[in-house]
Amino acid sequence: MIETHSSSLKTDQMFINLGPQHPSTHGVLRLGITLDGEVIVKAEPDVGYLHRGTEKLCEVRGYHHCVVVTDRWDYVSAMTNNLVFCLAAEKLMGLEIPARANYLRVAMCELNRIASHLLFFGTYGIDIGAFTPFLHAFREREMVLDLFEMVCGARMTYNYIRLGGVMADAPPGWADKTSEFLKYFKTKLREYDDLLSFNPIFLDRTKKVGIITAEQALDWGLSGPNLRGSGVSYDVRKTFPYSIYDKLDFKVCVGEAGSCWDRYYVRMREMAESVKIVEQCLAALPSGDIMAKGVAKIPTPLPGEAYAHVEGARGDLGIYLVSDGTSCPYRLHVRAPSYINLAILQEALVGLRVADMIAVLGSIDIVLGEVDR
Amino acid sequence: MTEISVSGIVEIIKKRYPSITVAEPSLIKGVTSFKASSGTDYLGVIRAFKEDLGFEYLDFLTAVDWKGAVDARGYIMDPNPNPFLPEGAVEQSEVKANPNFQYRDHFEVVVVLSNWKEKLKAAVRIELTRGNPRLPSLYDLWKTADWQERETFDLLGIEFEGHPNLKKILTPDFIQGHPLRKDYVHVKDQYD
Repeated sequence: MIETHSSSLKTDQMFINLGPQHPSTHGVLRLGITLDGEVIVKAEPDVGYLHRGTEKLCEVRGYHHCVVVTDRWDYVSAMTNNLVFCLAAEKLMGLEIPARANYLRVAMCELNRIASHLLFFGTYGIDIGAFTPFLHAFREREMVLDLFEMVCGARMTYNYIRLGGVMADAPPGWADKTSEFLKYFKTKLREYDDLLSFNPIFLDRTKKVGIITAEQALDWGLSGPNLRGSGVSYDVRKTFPYSIYDKLDFKVCVGEAGSCWDRYYVRMREMAESVKIVEQCLAALPSGDIMAKGVAKIPTPLPGEAYAHVEGARGDLGIYLVSDGTSCPYRLHVRAPSYINLAILQEALVGLRVADMIAVLGSIDIVLGEVDR
Repeated sequence: MTEISVSGIVEIIKKRYPSITVAEPSLIKGVTSFKASSGTDYLGVIRAFKEDLGFEYLDFLTAVDWKGAVDARGYIMDPNPNPFLPEGAVEQSEVKANPNFQYRDHFEVVVVLSNWKEKLKAAVRIELTRGNPRLPSLYDLWKTADWQERETFDLLGIEFEGHPNLKKILTPDFIQGHPLRKDYVHVKDQYD
């Protein structure tokens, strides 16, 4: 006897795990997904595999030691982590930063933004199925890491920005090498557009996929390129300027539709803006000290609280720092943009197909070290 | 709302919620702090900030345990010996409390909100008793409160009423207690 199946037949839902070890989760993230056929009906991101309790660790370390811990959150753009902790601690201590140190800090952060977005560009291509952009991205990323190596000796976990200034001055020849790189990199940005951004297959996979509206984005507290991709023009560097950003000339890149492609392309355009910022920093780099005078070996700020936030590569990265007058922070809370951005997957993935899920997850651009802290 | 200043906000909030006190401006530098005394006030003030004063963005939500210096037994390992210690210096083995600081047996939840148009920030704070720290959830106002409240619940053990999915998020299931509490003591597990 042959039964006839109609399209309205109720099928069983299936639960599948994506991760914790999966190449497209960019780390150890588990996504528990309930599927109805090919369509996602429920998505539950499960985080915490990399939880090291760094907020607690900072409570028994001196302020100088905490800078080392910050490197381990978002290890892809560790300079901004250093910066935000130092800004918060300097607010508590009332330190004045010398001008040269400020320019070096901003130049490093923007170079780090380029390196971080290049990693996104490369791995996002792989997520979608284009392998070649990865090789191009890493070729240029190496050059940025070489610049960091010149200045602080490390290619990851820099610990370069310290309380009161920076660790070391740029060595002779660094500025020339950086300008050389920027000049070279500007031509490469056009190449990336030819290679991936306007590739018809890539456009098919990312345009009109995973749309996040501006209301949704604000509701879920998105920040950084994810928020700007949805058409909201918010950048901490413009709205709440810190360091020397109010003296620099740059644009806030905003997307239109909030699709995966918009989020992707905001990052691509941001790299060009970062190039502009670094060029301005190099042109205006003042001479003088790189470290404020009178930074204590064991700082004991007066009891008080401070909140500092910066525009990291992944969004609005903030530090809420409480001091009780001892040599260790009493409480340190990290407003981690990756953690907050990731939560939206619960809503954004529903109704999509499995293949699109990878595109959306990649476009959120998370670093699990920062999600779990 | 066309123009809002810090003093204007303080006036509006004081008129509507007489029980709210405004902390001295130096509490969090650059952020005006409003101290609520009850859960309904807390929710009401935050709703007023969002709906009437244009504070559309929840920056972060967290909590502080004001009990005192951290319990050294909360750490798994002994403090690392420091081979580079100068001669005669004493190793800093545990954090000493500041005798001049007023610790208290309370948790304090801190919520920071942003108004991007006016470039303002405001903090709403509420102290909770240690025995039964409960607070209404902000999930209905911002969905981003979902994970931030789960994190605060996981690490500090503050319960948010009305949260749709209040369960552990960062620590493994077998971890007992709430690690960011100052009196947290680690219970040995299979990885020790």
